Amino acid sequence: MTSFQSTLGDEPGIAEELAESQREISIAEFFEKNKHMLGFDSGARGLVTAVKEAVDNALDATEEAGIAPDIYVEIAEVGDYYRLVVEDNGPGITKEQVPKVFGKLLYGSRFHVREQNRGQQGIGISAAVLYSQLTSGKPAKITSRTQGSAEAEYFELIIDTDRNEPEIKDSRTTSWDRPHGTRIELEMEANMRARQQLHSYVKHTAVVNPHARIELREPGLDAPLKFERATDQLPQETEEIRPHPHGVELGTLIKMLGATNSHSVSGFLQEEFTRVGKKTADKIVDNFRDRHFGREMAWSGPPSHDGADLESAIVGAVSNKGRDPTEAFAAEVVEVVSNRERTSHQELRFIVGNAAETASDQFEVTFGETVRENALEAAWGGLTAHDAEEEVDLLTPSLYALVDEATSTRKDDATVEALAERLARKFAGVEDPRHRVTKRELREFVDGAADATQEYDDVTVGDTARENITEAVWSVMRTVSDAPPKVAEVAESRDTASQLLEAMRETDILAPPTDCLSPITDELVEAGLRKEYDADFYAAATRDAEVHGGDPFIVEAGIAYGGDLPAEGSVDLLRFANRVPLVYQRGACATTDVVKRIGWRNYGLDQPGGSGMPNGPAVIMVHVASTNVPFTSESKDALANIPVIEDEIELAIREAARELKSYLNKRRSMQKRRKKQDVLGRILPQMADKVAEVTGRERPNIDGALARIMNNVSVEREFDGGTVTLMVENHSDRSEALDVTDIVSEEPTDVEADGETTVVDLDGEWFVKWAPSVSAGETATLTYAVSEDASFDVNVDGVEAEKLTVHA
Amino acid sequence: MSSNTKIQDERARERLIDLAAEFYDQFAGGQIPEMRLPTRTKSNIEYDEDAEVWVYGDRTSTRSANSVRGARKLLKAVYTIDFLAKQLEEDRSSTLRELYYLSESWDTKEAHFSDQDESNQLVEDLEIVSEVTREDFHMRPEESGATLMGPLLLREQTRRGEREIHCQEDVGEGGYQIPNNPDTIEFLDHDIDFVLCVETGGMRDRLIENGFDEDFNALIVHLKGQPARATRRITKRMHDELDLPVVVFTDGDPWSYRIYGSVAYGSIKSAHLSEYLATPEAKFVGIQPQDIVDYDLPTDPLSDSDVNALQSELEDPRFKTDYWKEQIELQLDIEKKAEQQALASRGLDFVTDTYLPERLGEMGVL
Repeated sequence: MTSFQSTLGDEPGIAEELAESQREISIAEFFEKNKHMLGFDSGARGLVTAVKEAVDNALDATEEAGIAPDIYVEIAEVGDYYRLVVEDNGPGITKEQVPKVFGKLLYGSRFHVREQNRGQQGIGISAAVLYSQLTSGKPAKITSRTQGSAEAEYFELIIDTDRNEPEIKDSRTTSWDRPHGTRIELEMEANMRARQQLHSYVKHTAVVNPHARIELREPGLDAPLKFERATDQLPQETEEIRPHPHGVELGTLIKMLGATNSHSVSGFLQEEFTRVGKKTADKIVDNFRDRHFGREMAWSGPPSHDGADLESAIVGAVSNKGRDPTEAFAAEVVEVVSNRERTSHQELRFIVGNAAETASDQFEVTFGETVRENALEAAWGGLTAHDAEEEVDLLTPSLYALVDEATSTRKDDATVEALAERLARKFAGVEDPRHRVTKRELREFVDGAADATQEYDDVTVGDTARENITEAVWSVMRTVSDAPPKVAEVAESRDTASQLLEAMRETDILAPPTDCLSPITDELVEAGLRKEYDADFYAAATRDAEVHGGDPFIVEAGIAYGGDLPAEGSVDLLRFANRVPLVYQRGACATTDVVKRIGWRNYGLDQPGGSGMPNGPAVIMVHVASTNVPFTSESKDALANIPVIEDEIELAIREAARELKSYLNKRRSMQKRRKKQDVLGRILPQMADKVAEVTGRERPNIDGALARIMNNVSVEREFDGGTVTLMVENHSDRSEALDVTDIVSEEPTDVEADGETTVVDLDGEWFVKWAPSVSAGETATLTYAVSEDASFDVNVDGVEAEKLTVHA
Repeated sequence: MSSNTKIQDERARERLIDLAAEFYDQFAGGQIPEMRLPTRTKSNIEYDEDAEVWVYGDRTSTRSANSVRGARKLLKAVYTIDFLAKQLEEDRSSTLRELYYLSESWDTKEAHFSDQDESNQLVEDLEIVSEVTREDFHMRPEESGATLMGPLLLREQTRRGEREIHCQEDVGEGGYQIPNNPDTIEFLDHDIDFVLCVETGGMRDRLIENGFDEDFNALIVHLKGQPARATRRITKRMHDELDLPVVVFTDGDPWSYRIYGSVAYGSIKSAHLSEYLATPEAKFVGIQPQDIVDYDLPTDPLSDSDVNALQSELEDPRFKTDYWKEQIELQLDIEKKAEQQALASRGLDFVTDTYLPERLGEMGVL
């Protein structure tokens, strides 16, 4: 290099020389060097990733075609290599598409679509092909048969990494026993060290895809692992959606502005975004105007004694219209303005126009444009008269009320007056005679006035006060009716586009529709867990959709507890994104972080140190469904830490955990009760025997005593969807009269019960009072309907505490 | 064995079976079996004006089969009742410790005692509810071994027949061993002027060696620390039946005052037997805190637990007299305590020649 340096000036061709070695890098080539980014960093992991990519594709393909998936996965040792075969019963891929789908990176149908899919970028399966060809040198063997075709197409292909194009080694038709579907066969350097992860992946896939049948064969298995279908219900079909206004970034917006066919901003908004109709578009455009043009200050009408001045000013500005018409015109303007609380320049223009029309009609005199302009100028001048030297100031009184309202009562009158005066001076000094300012400018006025007040009057005007004054003034200012800039104009100016973006974010807009998402639903989450885990308790929760970055997402959580789940060690955490199990990088995942920061002791799970992974026989599953799942890397192993998503994950888990808690509490109290019953059931008969022996009498009947001891009136609650059932079971030998008061957070309806009931509404809590009389051995029930998120607090009187067990 | 004792045994047995019958009736009536006992704490003892002793107050606590704990206690009670009833029937006796070990042989594990405190306490409970003393159940403590020495002739009913014993002439230097149930003793004759209860063995031996019993016609009872029931019982009997003044001579520390307290007023644990065991007329000789000052005795400083014990004695209803208030406050003030043997600092004969005659003279016993 040193020699180059010394002769740099003499070698004008150096840049050209360097340019010769500079060339475009193909995407395939790039990934060849960066396999780890796609999850192919080792032989063990490469195999799992390849299975994952192939199975994800198979599931997406079958679901799109409305077919219940039937997927076959086979791994076999072939000499030094492993052969992976994945078959599905999907719709098949046409002859033309096969080479591109499998032999070209970043080729796919989903990248540009806002819709929930497993695959997103079109990298996965072709990356697997690439990995196989790099390690084994063998081509990928693809068989695909589309529905209705007699023959299947067979391809052997590799990826030309220089060009990122498929290279077909062999292609012919072949026969295949499946009526339709796709089969891919890959040979690769691999090992089975990640057997655990492979099994987890397949098992977890079965949990979140209860509609799929999956079979796995691999060398370590004596018999194939089969996961049968738990439901025939296919996941809800998803719709493609347009982006949501709250989720776009400036660059994207400018790009969209450039690409749209719409001319008006309103049209653009309605056309390109979801959840924007005429009304919402108007709201956004108004907000956009406020930012782009600013608002016009509206001033209160002339003080009563100045009405005459204003009128004569207008009269003076109108010439040659005759006395009566002119006076009538001026009088009307003054009257309208006087009756209004505040009037802006634009409103005044409208009023003048109206008065001119009226006068024209009445007197058959034309009040032309020039006359109107002159009158408007005179009227505005009269309304906003401000001249420090002449001590004319109509603005201060108008502002005084606002400032007084917005500041704390501690500010004395002089301060408020001073602030209002200074603010009035600012308005009077605005270049635009219409007193048009943006909110930012307004804040500058307020700051200026406040600073001056602080400096000269030695009164502090804090940030909150300034903020309040700004808000108060801004709220009386009027949005202008000027036509907003056209789309082309907005697209050209970064500042204007940014004003539009701000306006979009500012406006309240409905959350995006969720038909682009296909949550598993809490029912099927539970069914999936039930299918694969033999536990005592299951709970699941599905949250409502939320938005992140314009993409809607839904979080679901499920918990299984007890049963055959291992009690030692920490709980199992199953993470899913768009129905795909996440196997690697658990520690880097937002889901893991959320689980760790929840205080599980509150929910009845052991958690050493009060944070971190809880211990116990439990499985926690979290599913995030989104049109664009934010992963930490291309290998799609871990969710990124996005606060809104984390919050939703936490809420979903807590929802399910609450059910777990009440289950565990109930179980614990039942355990205690059972234990007591067990011990007493042993001790008391022994005691009775001994007493009988000592006294020389027959063994006494101890059932009564035992029943008395074992709290034998129970009050239990069942809450199923929207129906509450309270049951009082009397196991004792005499009838019991109870006073049950159920305090409900939502209004109960359709109250039905054995015995008297009353419902009392007390400050948003409903007291359902019930006085059942239950004979020995009988059960009394109370039912009512209530919304699903109601909470309850039951209170039972009338039975000795020792005879009562409440599980409600 | 006399028919008298036989009747007494039969009565005790009946009382026990009545107790069991009570449980039986509770069961049969569908009630939760329970046993009601006076609360055995310092706050629930009160002065019985008539008997002039401290007895349990009105507050009671209940052992109920409602809880697992309570049910176990009652099961053990019933097994113990069965055992005691059989023991009485067969006219045998056993020690408290034997009862504890014996529970291991009962057919249910649930009835085994977890420690001896538990079995001791249960026997006390049964005494209270049956109003029969432990001695009448034929239960005795592990060791009694307390002795007396003095001019007393008595007749003791032993398992090997009646013996007449003179407690000066027929005994060695160790004195006469008080039997577990002193009610088997009959007083025949005596020359006693007063009964002197002594806390420590060292002081008791000093008094005997110096011939204090002979010189002053004193009956010297060795308390051996906190006195056993038999010791307290025989002391009370001598006071009641022979009309003798009783005085108590202990160390000068809070624990020794409690020894005096249990001789005179009864203990908290056995307040149900106060009438039977306590000698309210018993007087305290010393060592008083005043003596520490007056005789300038060698002392030890009060430990924290001593101070606590003194303060708790100020609250103790048994010590709520002007005399004790004065003495205890004085001791708290000088922060010192002294042993009986501290008197030896004035010579071995000081206690018999000077201290006791002076103190007893003051108290009007001599």
